[in-house]
Amino acid sequence: MKNRTYNILFHTHTVSGIVISVVLYVIFFAGSFSFFRDEIINWERNESVEITDAIQLDFDTALDTLNSQYNLYGRDIEIRKTHQEQRVNISLGASKDTLATEDTKTSKFLYLDTKNYAQNSYIESYSLGEFLYRLHFFAQIPYPVGYYLSGFVAFFFLFAIITGVLVHWRKIVSNFFIFRPLQKLKTLWTDAHTALGMLGLPFQFVYAVTGAFFMIKLLIVAPNVMVLYDGNETKLYDDLEYNHPHFKLGKNTLTTAFSANTYIEKTQALWDDFNVTEMHIFNYGNENMHVLVSGHIDCSDKFTGIGDAIYKVGSGVLVSKKDPIENTSYLDGVKNTLYRLHFGDYGGYALKIISFILGLISCFVIISGVMIWLVARDKKKIPEKKRRFNERVVRVYLAICLSMYPITAASFIAVKAFQPVDKSFIYSFYFMGWLLLSIFFIIKKDLNFINKYTLLSGSILGFLIPIVNGCVTKNWIWKSFANKQFQIFFIDAFWVVLSIISMWIYFKLSKKDATMPK
Amino acid sequence: MPANPKYLSSNWQRFAKISAGFLGGYLVTISLHIALSYWLNHVHVIITETFTGFILWASLMVVAFLAKNGWKIWVIYLLLSALFSIAIYFSKIYHPLLS
Repeated sequence: MKNRTYNILFHTHTVSGIVISVVLYVIFFAGSFSFFRDEIINWERNESVEITDAIQLDFDTALDTLNSQYNLYGRDIEIRKTHQEQRVNISLGASKDTLATEDTKTSKFLYLDTKNYAQNSYIESYSLGEFLYRLHFFAQIPYPVGYYLSGFVAFFFLFAIITGVLVHWRKIVSNFFIFRPLQKLKTLWTDAHTALGMLGLPFQFVYAVTGAFFMIKLLIVAPNVMVLYDGNETKLYDDLEYNHPHFKLGKNTLTTAFSANTYIEKTQALWDDFNVTEMHIFNYGNENMHVLVSGHIDCSDKFTGIGDAIYKVGSGVLVSKKDPIENTSYLDGVKNTLYRLHFGDYGGYALKIISFILGLISCFVIISGVMIWLVARDKKKIPEKKRRFNERVVRVYLAICLSMYPITAASFIAVKAFQPVDKSFIYSFYFMGWLLLSIFFIIKKDLNFINKYTLLSGSILGFLIPIVNGCVTKNWIWKSFANKQFQIFFIDAFWVVLSIISMWIYFKLSKKDATMPK
Repeated sequence: MPANPKYLSSNWQRFAKISAGFLGGYLVTISLHIALSYWLNHVHVIITETFTGFILWASLMVVAFLAKNGWKIWVIYLLLSALFSIAIYFSKIYHPLLS
């Protein structure tokens, strides 16, 4: 590579990396915890559910419960399972009946407990798991600012990945096993940055592309709507099969009996290992009532196996179906792959844990990149004032990034200790705590101190999490293990392991400090 | 070792390269994909664009930075977009998606 090319790529990599570093760190840190979003939520509620893709629900009882309260006649109803929780999502569309009361002409969204049929609104269901999940795309910043911020950061991350790989191109093989932690600080950071960057490359590339897609897909979609579809957005989403079909409301009410469960059974009989993840009912209680049952076959059988069946309730006839086993369309393949790769939900806990580790490795790559930037500019020929400024920038960066670990651990304790907590409590605890910790570490003026004490405090708080959980719920870690309440056990054990590792690193760092001459 | 500044452009050149990569690159990416939509299966092209769009756009940004002259790369990107737009224009008349 020519010297010129190398220097240009090097510079663009440095600048793009430095600009996005803090935001990207927050995304990766919160995102890594989001792999365990459902486990965290179940742990918070002290609930444990059987891990299935399929909805475990008596649909008839659920619909009767809803009908007595909301009068479902003429509405479109959707029951969906999107997470491993004891609650399913219920969307009630506005009634299409012109004679309906004002109240039934409004749409509603709620969560329904699959065991005791209790209802919860979104706000009532808010949890730390949801908070961390939403933090990883900055949903707390008013829409659309947060979404676009995270989307463009993902996009510039892609740019930084491409330039980074090109810069490192000639040394990918030769430097892969090189690690010189003892030579000097600069080589330690550089070797760590390149080796871990290479190891995590496929992972990071996938998250950069899919992350950009999730958050700023509008930039791709909007021109297509305007030019290809002459502004007809619905047609585009119909073509991309994001919309359900439409059925008009008939004049008369349904005369035959209706049992939702039979349609679930009918559909499951069509294909082996078919998991029903959604039921969509059109025109409830009307002569033109239809039921759509959709889902997928097990991932272990087929990576993309999405299918559905639509029935007309009056006659019980299967109107149309999409076979999940034969002829998977390219469209379904891409949609499913983009989603699955990002959520990492196709390989059980092994994949989630590996993804979590790779996520934290990405955090380390970001931090080491910032450290290279600092160390490379910490030279005698650079004016003292400039060096002090650089040091201050990195100090602020590190203080913000690294204090995420203790404040996240503290929040796990807080949501247990101050139960029941609501959205505003989680917001104020996490953000205020984060701010105070950051300020404290910035004032300390010592990078080494920030590094060591965020690890130590996070580790101590992490050890307290299973203890606090045990005290509050009496469901100690050995009890949840014995009772096979896996999600509850997992979060407790997860924090113990995480705390042991960070404590070990803390002692390693302390020992090194003691032996290193000042 | 920060990059050697003798290889880096300054002021207007820098502005030209950043804007060419970000805006010009976007125009090329979008116009190319839309033009292709008329001649290949448009649903396939649109759903493919969800990932190739971002990869191509980011790559075009890299190319813009490597250019000797930032304004020249702007001209190239605009010419490419114009070419694809002409293709779109005629495709829309003779081969429309919505009939």
